[in-house]
Amino acid sequence: MLSDARTRSIIIQCALVAVAAAFAALLVSTTFANLRARGIPIGFDFLTMPSRIVISEAILTYKSRDPYYWAIATGLANTVFVSAVVIVFSSALGLVVGITRLSSNPLAAGTCRVWVEVARNSPPIVLLIFLYSLWWKVLPPVGEALNPLPGVYASMRGFVVPAVSMDVATAGLLVIALALALAAAGWAAARRGWLPPLAAPTILAVGIAGLWLADAKFSVDWPTFTGSNFKGGKDLTPELSTILIGLTIYTTGFVAEIVRGGVLSVGRGQWDAGHSLGLPRGKILRLIIIPQMLRVIVPPLNSQYINVVKNSTLAIAVGYPDFLAVMNTIISKSSHSIEGVFIILGVYLALNLSLSSAANWYNRRIAIVER
Amino acid sequence: MKALSLPLPAEPMPGQIRFGALRRSAILLFGTPLNAVLTLLFGVLLVTTVPPMLHWLVIDAVLFDPSPRACRVATGACWSFIYAKSGQLLFGIYPLDERWRPAIVCVLILALLAWSVRPASWAPRLAALWVAALVLIFWLMAGGFGLAEVPTSSWGGLPVTLILTVVAIGVAFPVGILLALARRSTMPTIRIGAVVLIESVRGLPLLSILFVASIMMPLFLPEALLPDKFVRALVALTIFAAAYLAEVIRGGLQAIPNGQYEAAAAVGLPFWRTQYLVILPQAIRVAIPALANTIIVMIKNTSLVLVVGLFDLISSGKAALADPDWPSPAAETFLFIGAIFFALSFSFARFADFLERRGPTAH
Repeated sequence: MLSDARTRSIIIQCALVAVAAAFAALLVSTTFANLRARGIPIGFDFLTMPSRIVISEAILTYKSRDPYYWAIATGLANTVFVSAVVIVFSSALGLVVGITRLSSNPLAAGTCRVWVEVARNSPPIVLLIFLYSLWWKVLPPVGEALNPLPGVYASMRGFVVPAVSMDVATAGLLVIALALALAAAGWAAARRGWLPPLAAPTILAVGIAGLWLADAKFSVDWPTFTGSNFKGGKDLTPELSTILIGLTIYTTGFVAEIVRGGVLSVGRGQWDAGHSLGLPRGKILRLIIIPQMLRVIVPPLNSQYINVVKNSTLAIAVGYPDFLAVMNTIISKSSHSIEGVFIILGVYLALNLSLSSAANWYNRRIAIVER
Repeated sequence: MKALSLPLPAEPMPGQIRFGALRRSAILLFGTPLNAVLTLLFGVLLVTTVPPMLHWLVIDAVLFDPSPRACRVATGACWSFIYAKSGQLLFGIYPLDERWRPAIVCVLILALLAWSVRPASWAPRLAALWVAALVLIFWLMAGGFGLAEVPTSSWGGLPVTLILTVVAIGVAFPVGILLALARRSTMPTIRIGAVVLIESVRGLPLLSILFVASIMMPLFLPEALLPDKFVRALVALTIFAAAYLAEVIRGGLQAIPNGQYEAAAAVGLPFWRTQYLVILPQAIRVAIPALANTIIVMIKNTSLVLVVGLFDLISSGKAALADPDWPSPAAETFLFIGAIFFALSFSFARFADFLERRGPTAH
């Protein structure tokens, strides 16, 4: 009987499942015994109780008498905010650095190569701690704050940037306009025509202009310097600024390499073919080069974006309260460690799985259709 | 960067103008309008940033004066702090009289790594060599049998980083092979189990795995069996490395043509001997460049263990900075630590490049 492959396979699987189940049962029973011995209750009831933990800064409004679930949401919002900002900035910078590395100009290519090598070969946590230690060394006190761009101030106390405030209805309309713009871009890409190249920005611009004309509650709060302090604007603390700048520098190095690989993967012959058809450079780029490049760069770019979400946990090294740091505080404060661990695992898996399924959907749109 | 080694013709070809080096670089820098703009842009950038950095790094820096006072008055970097504290930075709180032991361990691990990356030394006896070396390393670090005993709680600095990297990858490697084989298994329960395990570990940040390991292990295990912080971090790093290595090895397995399996079946080899004698040697050889990249990722990742309270390079740097006699040169210290990681990871990256250029060895 054992010589029959099918029977043997069933026996092996049953044995394996039994061993795994026994192991799991052992773990669970030891865990419950340990929890009982220490008098720790189990259950998610604690989530609605006031947390009384301090979250030093938050994108959402949070007070320490808010319940635990709101503390968790606040930490999650911080993580999502940091990841989103880093993804946007490092994609844009990575595109520039990656293409500049291919330049024939040795000065430009060399500088970008140094950036890429430093980013790829140093641990992000060391980069963050190093940048954080530079903060007080390089930047002036508030009184002499640098003003690199209009409305942007940099000093020892962090950045101050113009704040955009809007009411809920306006924000909702803006989100709808953004969704429409994205849908238009997706529709155009699906027809692989890049047909209306300006469709997405146009929809967005029309949406914003419409909001403006309708006199929506949409205002930009410019910071003003009052001699000893700033009035208005949005404060970015040194901690938040360090994590944003550090992770952007780090991720840009990886995005640049992906972009460079993508450009190199499209052969010179494609350019020559385009030229021989009499297409102008812009059209060759849009119709021939970029669609082929996207196919190569989307999958690795996707895993870089997931890495950004994972690396945002390093915020803990400079003391920015991201989701993991908040969860860690909650676990040590409430001693609901099992529940906390399940929330941590669930949230990160959900975040990363949704990111990768969105990227996979996009990848299917742009993939080669074999006929 | 390696220069192109194309031999330049000694005589100019007919109809070709020979440019001097100056002329050539002028063409490269200003030949086209775009290049001229780029040169100006990056020239301004470099001229404004490099001289101040050089001043801070070298010209105004305290290089040799070993007194803290010199650092207080200098406007540049305080490198003498790094000299004065090098023992503490590299070896953490390891007992002072015994620091020769972690020093030997570091040299041993680095020498063994350098030895193992030579393609000529890839043979089964390499694994035996590593096991013997690890026993020796553990004896040197922990003591006993004639050496003074040092608990893992006083281990610190570079040896901790190196040991964690090497042991995590060493233990994770066979586990990764098993996971990769399981993921390609025809038995559904085994395949699904492997997929769930690999994908959930890969979907989580390493920091959360480290936290979960340090929170959950005391609950999972009876108190008598509870491992210390060092072992807990090692377990988390190993699980993490195993999931990534499994995917790398699976990539290698996918490159093996079906004919190899059929040939093994034709000579009557059973499953495990097919894998051990025919498939895995080829699959691992194909996967070696990707394996080298995973090792770089792991070297960088071990720097995270400071968050769960282990004394790695970063935390020993922080401890050294707490000395009130010195003006706390944090940027210099972290630059030094960053340079160590950079050196390790950059040399490994060049090695991976070399392997990739060499291409897979013939079957």
